[in-house]
Amino acid sequence: MKIYDSAVKQTPVISQIKAIYESRDLLRILVARDLTVRYKRSVIGIWWSLLNPIFTTGVLFYVFNTVFKSRMPDGTSFLPYLLSGVLLMTFFNQGLTMAADSIANGSGVLTKVYVRPEVFAASATISSAINFCFGLVPLTAVLLITGKHPGIKAPLVLIAIFFLILFTIGLSLFMAVAYISFDDSKSLIAILLLMLQYMTPVFYPISVLGPHTLRVIKLNPLTAFLTVFRDVFGNNGSATFGTWIYMMASALVIFVGGLYFFMRKWPKVVAKI
Amino acid sequence: MKKDVIVEVNDVSMVYRRTRHRVSTLKQTAIDTITKRISHEDFYALTDVSLSVSRGETLAIIGRNGAGKSTLLKVLARVLPPSNGRVIVRGDVAPMIELGAGFNPELTGAENILLYGTLLGRSTIEMKSRIEAIADWAGLRESLDVPLRAYSSGMVGRLAFATATDTTPDLLLIDEVLSVGDEDFQERSKARTVEMMKSGCAVILVTHDLGAVEAMANRALYLEAGQVKATGTPKSVIAKYHSDLHR
Repeated sequence: MKIYDSAVKQTPVISQIKAIYESRDLLRILVARDLTVRYKRSVIGIWWSLLNPIFTTGVLFYVFNTVFKSRMPDGTSFLPYLLSGVLLMTFFNQGLTMAADSIANGSGVLTKVYVRPEVFAASATISSAINFCFGLVPLTAVLLITGKHPGIKAPLVLIAIFFLILFTIGLSLFMAVAYISFDDSKSLIAILLLMLQYMTPVFYPISVLGPHTLRVIKLNPLTAFLTVFRDVFGNNGSATFGTWIYMMASALVIFVGGLYFFMRKWPKVVAKI
Repeated sequence: MKKDVIVEVNDVSMVYRRTRHRVSTLKQTAIDTITKRISHEDFYALTDVSLSVSRGETLAIIGRNGAGKSTLLKVLARVLPPSNGRVIVRGDVAPMIELGAGFNPELTGAENILLYGTLLGRSTIEMKSRIEAIADWAGLRESLDVPLRAYSSGMVGRLAFATATDTTPDLLLIDEVLSVGDEDFQERSKARTVEMMKSGCAVILVTHDLGAVEAMANRALYLEAGQVKATGTPKSVIAKYHSDLHR
């Protein structure tokens, strides 16, 4: 028999991970809902989600390749480099925003039935990760057109996806609490996210940066994610052992930190949503 | 410890921190921190509430609007964690608080039954086997594959009620006696609610319908400004409530 005792103190992080795991039925249904609602009545279905990154890539490619006439210093082709960056940033941005919103705007569910909000953050991020996987198809096409191929290391992309899911969930939990606590935090966070985006080498090669800028850019965990992704999928970058470690460590720190922070703050903000 | 006590609430308080300003912003918080002005106050939605309900009992909670009745139900439904005190609930809870949580207009009736049932903590396999029975009871078998946005609000209410009540809980939480659908459905839903209440679970009922309180409840609890004003037989508690109202 299930017993709820409010006096039993839940261990942060461990109890939350357990709760997410035990809600895997709900998680699966929420992911299916996200994907169904978005694509059900659209003719091109799931490919609709790729229109945005492909269009963004097209515009950026035109600007940098044709207008500024910039070339990659090592002679690699720009298009797969750019598309992989845009796809990964779309995964991160979309997952983060959807996850934070699903909690901050979740009063319709979260104040009516007992569900761990972390499950909603996880489902939004996983939906975004699935969209990203569909994006690997056009990326493969672009690689083939430019005379390359994804390479034998391609399956390792799953590791990067897994850790980016953890990273995004963790960050979204901080963001959700900020959204609920302060009405003006949304615009401030939007600026910070834009900064983070420019601090990630999506459309510029790392090698053009000076030593000081390079140090800052490399501190950004997303740079590590992107470097690993480009390395394993299409060999457009070179990730060292250190890059891998930094990617995984930063993801775990943000994930655990986000869970812990959320566990502490949620009881104080739940009445506000 | 008595075995058949389903709900125990001991000295539970709910405190909200309210800002003095209409909205809470980073800017205002920063200004208040610098000028050392206290910008919030504590608001007690519930103060030292205690109660216990055993299997087979129906407890009615009455009181004016804003007395804390719904807050108390949400504490029992685990949605709000109590600020102080202790809540123990043994067994499965069916929260009939605001029905249809998580309903999505773009999904079909069947998909919404599955989603809602899973949100209520039931397993997907269990829900899948119940979809048709639930739809039959709601009289919506033909509309199962139609998106919910094509439903009338009465149909949505029927679907939500049928899904929420398709269970045998240990504790039933009811916020207001439900009235969805047409007259026929209202009668059937009332009958089903009564049937659930009689199935031996514990029931906590929040309502303004004092006639229903006297007819259905074994005991009543009168809340005023978050505090328990009176408990006892429905008759005596209603009398106390009336005398306060007309004072």
